[in-house]
Amino acid sequence: MTGDGKRPSVEARGISKAFGGVAALDAVDFEVRWSEVHALVGENGAGKTTLCNILAGIYRADAGQVIVDGTERDFRSPAHAIDAGVGMVHQHFRLVEPMTVAENIHLGWPETPGVVSQRALVDRTERFMSETGLHVDPTAKIWQLSVGEQQRVEILRVLARGARVLILDEPTAVLTAKEAEELFAVVRELAAGGLSVIFITHKLREVLAVSDRLTVLRHGIREITRPTEGATASEIARLMTGEERVLDVEHRVVTGDPALELRGVSALNDRGITALHDVDLTVRSGEILGIAGVSGNGQTELAEVICALRGLESGSITVDGSGTASMSVRAVTDLGVGHIPEDRIGTGMVLSASVKDNAVLHNYWTEQFAQGLTLNRQGVIDFARRLVEAARVQTRSIFATAGQLSGGNQQRLVARREALAADRLLVAAHPTRGLDVNAAQEVRSTILGKRDSGCAVLLISDDLDEVLLMSDRIAVIYEGRIMGVFEAAEADREHIGLLMGGHSMSEAG
Amino acid sequence: MTPLASIASAVLSVTPWRLERRLEVDARRAALTRIGGAVGAMIVVGILLLLTGRNAFWIFWQALDAIFGRQRGIEGVALRGIPILMTALGVALSLRMKVWNIGSDGQFLMGALAAVGVGIHMDGPGWLVLILMAVAATVAGAAWILVPALARAYWDVNEIITTLLLNFVALQLVTWSALGFWRDKEAAVIQSTREVPFTLPGLPGANSVTIALLVPLVIAAVLWWVFRSTTIGYEIDIIGGNPRAAGFAGIAVRRRILIVMLFTGAIAGLGGMLQLSAPGAQAMNAGFSAQFGLSGFIVAALAGASFWGVIGGGLFIASMFYAGIVLQTKGLSVYIIFAIYGVILTGIALGEIAARYRVVRRDAADESEATAGEAAAARKGADS
Repeated sequence: MTGDGKRPSVEARGISKAFGGVAALDAVDFEVRWSEVHALVGENGAGKTTLCNILAGIYRADAGQVIVDGTERDFRSPAHAIDAGVGMVHQHFRLVEPMTVAENIHLGWPETPGVVSQRALVDRTERFMSETGLHVDPTAKIWQLSVGEQQRVEILRVLARGARVLILDEPTAVLTAKEAEELFAVVRELAAGGLSVIFITHKLREVLAVSDRLTVLRHGIREITRPTEGATASEIARLMTGEERVLDVEHRVVTGDPALELRGVSALNDRGITALHDVDLTVRSGEILGIAGVSGNGQTELAEVICALRGLESGSITVDGSGTASMSVRAVTDLGVGHIPEDRIGTGMVLSASVKDNAVLHNYWTEQFAQGLTLNRQGVIDFARRLVEAARVQTRSIFATAGQLSGGNQQRLVARREALAADRLLVAAHPTRGLDVNAAQEVRSTILGKRDSGCAVLLISDDLDEVLLMSDRIAVIYEGRIMGVFEAAEADREHIGLLMGGHSMSEAG
Repeated sequence: MTPLASIASAVLSVTPWRLERRLEVDARRAALTRIGGAVGAMIVVGILLLLTGRNAFWIFWQALDAIFGRQRGIEGVALRGIPILMTALGVALSLRMKVWNIGSDGQFLMGALAAVGVGIHMDGPGWLVLILMAVAATVAGAAWILVPALARAYWDVNEIITTLLLNFVALQLVTWSALGFWRDKEAAVIQSTREVPFTLPGLPGANSVTIALLVPLVIAAVLWWVFRSTTIGYEIDIIGGNPRAAGFAGIAVRRRILIVMLFTGAIAGLGGMLQLSAPGAQAMNAGFSAQFGLSGFIVAALAGASFWGVIGGGLFIASMFYAGIVLQTKGLSVYIIFAIYGVILTGIALGEIAARYRVVRRDAADESEATAGEAAAARKGADS
């Protein structure tokens, strides 16, 4: 029973929730209807996830009511919520990697038969997939699947338990652009079938692309609920941030000496497959060269070969005229190369170490801190204090572990640390990924500041808007090849989009 | 989470409380909670002894008197402490890099064996022989971990298995030397190697404790300084925390792992030589190591890889063992003594958990499956 398009499926009335005295939600009203995709929008920490955790029975509200399909509910666990038809797919998947898709869908499901063969599980799963129109190989092991497919398994698992209201928490954060498009199609399909889908995101383009209605939360207060039709990105952005902050970037044409030159560079990825084919690139001092491309087309390897974290198969790389082919990571860093790595937490930080120790990770060996063998402890402390202040990292103490920092603070710390280390060249890989609008603006200002002070910047991003906004020149990468390089003035969005999708110059032109 | 923390968290899961990781662990609290754990455990032991009709006050008095009442007691603790401290320091060093050297017993034995080899075959002034014995023991201890270290550093082979199994090989070699190639043919009854004719000089005023006691203290001081004030210590901590970040920072991770593992073996090997050069222990037999490596491992794990913690904890456990032997001679059953050891070690381990976690009241959120993802979601919620 899904009802018509007007009746609400889930209603939250006057929901309040505080954590340790800090209000995460303040008397929020929220209503979702059957057969609609409802985007829940807001910056990091606006209360989106908290609200949905209450709807899905993970938290209990301090005040307010949750009404599901006309009946007031008091969920004490996610199991209660799923019994009432509300299910959530979390940002971090809860799948058992060595087990098959069919096994994962049936795990912990009361309707799974007590004694059952693999064959029967697969049959049940296939029947179920044809009902929902979502398909994944039921015999595949989870670790063999792409992230997008794993997400589909999570959605299937929730739908299998009878969910009629599906909550997706930042579902595109982990997806490639193509996978995201596929997800949008699935979501539209589910809503057309009568379900409600709550789509949590802070990406404005997704809101406009996928939702029927939208609700904006800011600092735990509902700003607006309205139909998506007729809404503009800048209007939503203003409601999210409370002010319209558009970075005004002046693009330049720079003719100085090249700070970074790649000639015929080829390199392998971790699986031993060629990830970069014969790449030629030049970045001049005082300019930002943006690399546009869909994730997984060699960008990771490109950043790593430049910083000597990955070896070359052929070709040469020079920084300020010195060839780096046989240099160590440290020697390249000492040339004045900073690197904001793609995986800030996994590569750029040590969560168990203190903020202070993380602050000097990329320059502790320099004369500023190291005298022979000894490390100047006071110097490190002073440097860390200044860095934390400059990057506006909120931490109780520089001696506390980096693991206690929130994600945004961790990112700001790494971005500012690397910007300081970069005298000649800053390699920034997806520097604003996962950040809210304000934090992203701060990181972008930092990068622009480096450019203006004469540093060369290689900006890698799968967010084409960001590449177009920031870059003085743009190179498009596809399957490890550079498809073309453009001055910002002559860059055409559609043309670049075609090149990113693998259409050659002649086809695109 | 350590296994014990997992158990504690499971026990708490039926109560309205749960464990929460502390943001910062300060050294003073770490020491105090461990001491508190030991004292608490001794109170529990006392109550259990009283309940089973034993005079707990008399037993504790006997134990304290045995250790502190006479010089023999203090020296006995020091003698038992030296091998435990040496193996514990080696393990603690490896734990800073999150490498688990379970083979310190084997390295200790091989160090001692090398020292015996030098000691019984070399003529010369005593001081020179002793120095060469120490060098040989250090090299032998390092050599005994060389293969596991290479395998771990360059092929990512789990060091727990390789180092553990080499313990048994070392024990067989020692037995062979005692029964075979270095057997003392004159003392036909005792199956042991010939005796090294030299001992280290005694500490002033001591009857049996030699300058060997100073060695673990010096090593602890050096290690403490290395990790406090040098780039090498910083790099080892970074490798222990996140090897990928260490690579990102240009640290030669594999070479560091190799070198640090060799050092842990070298320290344990030197411990074998120190043990061998004490008066009355100058020959080796199959019982030469009373599982010192295992005790050292317990000490290092409980001390949380803090070097001064290793010294304090090692001396505490050595006194516990010494008191246990004295109490046995006073008629207390060996099984009760082992049970007391167990309760006290558990108390210290709980103190170690208390230093890193605190008990907080459970939120509604925790009533559901407390998975990492939800914890992350909860943190995210709490940040707003």
